[in-house]
Amino acid sequence: MRRVWCAAVALLVAGCGIQPTGVTDGGEAPTGVAPGVTLYFVGADGELRPRQRDTGGLGSISEALSLLLSGPGGSGLRTGIAPISVQRVGVTIEPGVIELVTPLTIDDVTPLGIDQIVCTALDTHVRSGGSRDMRVRVRFTQPTPETDELRTCPLIR
Amino acid sequence: MTRRPWLRGLRARLLVAFVLVTVLGAVAAVWSSAGSAGGALVTSYQRQVTRTIGDQIGAIAPQLTYPPDQGALDRLRATVGANALVVYGDLRSADGVDTGLITDELRLAVRTGDRLVTQRTVVDGEPWLLVGTPVMITASDGTRTPSGIEVYAVRDLTGVEREIDGLTRSAITTAAWALPLSGLAALLAAGSVLRPVRELRDTAGRLAAGDLDARSPPQGADELAELTVTVNEMAESVQTSMAEMERMRADARRFAADVSHELRTPLSTLTAVVEVLADTTDGMEPDARESARMAITETHRLVRLVEDLMEVSRFDAGTARLRVEEADAVGAVRDSLRARGWWDRVELVAPEEVPARLDRRRLDVVVANLVGNALRHGEPPVRVHVSALPEQVRIAVTDSGPGLPEHVVPHVFDRFYKADAARTRTPGSGLGLAIALENARLHGGDLTAENTDHGARFVLRLPRDPEEPGDPEER
Amino acid sequence: MAAILLIEDDALVRRGLELALHRHGHDVRTADTGEAGLREFQAFEPDLVVLDLMLPGMDGFAVCRRIRASGEVPVIMLTARGDDFDVVGGLEAGADDYVVKPAKPTVLDARIRAVLRRGTGTRDGVRVHRDLRIDTAALMVSLHGEPVRLTPTELRLLLTLSRASGRVFSRQQLLEEVWEQSYIGDSRLVDNCVQRLRAKIEADPAAPEYVQTVRGFGYRFGPV
Repeated sequence: MRRVWCAAVALLVAGCGIQPTGVTDGGEAPTGVAPGVTLYFVGADGELRPRQRDTGGLGSISEALSLLLSGPGGSGLRTGIAPISVQRVGVTIEPGVIELVTPLTIDDVTPLGIDQIVCTALDTHVRSGGSRDMRVRVRFTQPTPETDELRTCPLIR
Repeated sequence: MTRRPWLRGLRARLLVAFVLVTVLGAVAAVWSSAGSAGGALVTSYQRQVTRTIGDQIGAIAPQLTYPPDQGALDRLRATVGANALVVYGDLRSADGVDTGLITDELRLAVRTGDRLVTQRTVVDGEPWLLVGTPVMITASDGTRTPSGIEVYAVRDLTGVEREIDGLTRSAITTAAWALPLSGLAALLAAGSVLRPVRELRDTAGRLAAGDLDARSPPQGADELAELTVTVNEMAESVQTSMAEMERMRADARRFAADVSHELRTPLSTLTAVVEVLADTTDGMEPDARESARMAITETHRLVRLVEDLMEVSRFDAGTARLRVEEADAVGAVRDSLRARGWWDRVELVAPEEVPARLDRRRLDVVVANLVGNALRHGEPPVRVHVSALPEQVRIAVTDSGPGLPEHVVPHVFDRFYKADAARTRTPGSGLGLAIALENARLHGGDLTAENTDHGARFVLRLPRDPEEPGDPEER
Repeated sequence: MAAILLIEDDALVRRGLELALHRHGHDVRTADTGEAGLREFQAFEPDLVVLDLMLPGMDGFAVCRRIRASGEVPVIMLTARGDDFDVVGGLEAGADDYVVKPAKPTVLDARIRAVLRRGTGTRDGVRVHRDLRIDTAALMVSLHGEPVRLTPTELRLLLTLSRASGRVFSRQQLLEEVWEQSYIGDSRLVDNCVQRLRAKIEADPAAPEYVQTVRGFGYRFGPV
């Protein structure tokens, strides 16, 4: 009888403590390191071209878009975005949507230029560990019908 | 297994069984609930830790230069926390505390895998959570490749363990509360189960003690109720046969009493006339004289027999009454012997006097029977020994004859018991010793028969002050 | 030689006892019922009555009480042996003695003679104790100068007790001296007779002056 009691108590005590375990999976590994950022420009054939810019780190979407707005530099590529003095872009990430507030008017960008912005933002988002299914809304300084459009990058599907 | 005595009672066994079941149930409940709650607690803490670490790394990773320099590694380590280690190739962050706990197993999993991994260890009795993860590089198309940066973090689980212990303790406390409650419930249940058993036991006890009217009402329709009904039926049938037997015995006694009563009237006539007859036998023919004397002798025998029968009937009917008075037992014995002319044939050994409260007539009957027997069946000297004990008068009648045959001793007080054919024609009625015994018992005393080395000995013991309701002295 | 009235319902027993008592020299008259017995008692004026208690019609107790009420004629009862109810009832009804049935005529005769004997041996003149005067020669007892009518047994009891004033007599001694029962007498005979005697001579029978009880032993005559 007493032995049964002891066994019960021992079992009880054993059940309470934290037991050592083997190595168990804890989910996705974090990501986001990169040697540089990828900007999208327009090639000679009028197609979108990703171009790696070695900045030493990935940086934020905002930083990537600032680099994009500062132009292709001497890379032989063109851009569909008019040069502008103010290169700051506001970035807000909402569920499923990345909202970009650009210092541009709709007239400052060609349709390809909008794609450049969308692809650069999405690329940076994905590489910092974000989802590829995000839509991007691009806002301009004046409200236009294009503002409400939810866009995707033709190169990132 | 040797059962301890206290476990033998039904109540105790029920109680133990109840408490045991409750305790086992409580233990199981405590164990499983505390276990699952504890498990959930650890898991949720672990998930929170890994998510935090993952988020922290994910948040700072884009700001880090890649390939990282020492500064980047230190920054990353600082972000993850004090107990962390960041490794890139040969570079490693400045050591945090307790990073020595990180196991090789975990390092291997981090180095070769592309997932965040965790491991729990217990070192010196303290639980730790180890988290390790590679930091990945994600390409534009979503493919991930290890960056070569490994982050390790160590988290103390003592707090969680304390929380779990608290949970367990409260569960045990709750279970402990159930214990007296279960005991109480067991007592109630045992009571309800045992009450009919107890009643049945009491009834059986009363039946065994002779109270044949004892019954217990059956309750419900369970096995106990059936047993109760059976016991009742048994009692009923015993009672019926006892009543029948009692009735038959009463009939037999009444018959004997009636017969002797009816015989008394003709015997009164005979007794009256045999004296007349006796006075005239001298002038008779020898044959007629012998016949007349036989008739006289047998009439006297018949009278004695009928008187004894009636005396026995009174004992049987319970109408025999004791009339005690202050008397000297020695004097009473002496009177009995003298009155029967035995004074010269019997040796009386007695103190000067033994005062006692006796029914003199009944004592005389006993003494006359015992001494008469000794004189008839034993050899002289016949000795009557009266002695005074503190509470008793002891009167022993011994003879120096052959003694009683061993097979007779147990039956010597039976009615009409004939030890052998030779004794059938003695003057006794065959009831003398039975009546003597009844008289002794009526006094609250006893009469026994035994053999000594020299002959038979009958010992009468009478209380010196018998309990007796009426006191003739007090009139 | 005494005139005896025998009241007994059974004809053969009656005749048997009549024959036997006759042989002992008694003049015997018989009756078969209580009523006939009482009639005979008036006509015959016997010295003594032998009375069977079990009678049809008027029972022996009632007969005994009637006889006692009308005078000092002694009564001897015939009872079943040890039948306490009969004995106690008969003694309370005033019987002087009893004989157990079946009665041996010699025993009955001895009882009759004992009961009928009026005096004791010593006739030492007149004993006066306060208001009680006992003339042992004339066998007369008077209280306050008035004669007291006592049965022979009562008289003998009083004579025996008063013979040695202050001496204690045990019941057994009294049975031997008064009833002439040599052994195993019934002490209730004494107690009943004492009660009857007290009723006749004591001012307050509950607080007796002359016949005093000595607890646990017997009786004595006072005043000392």
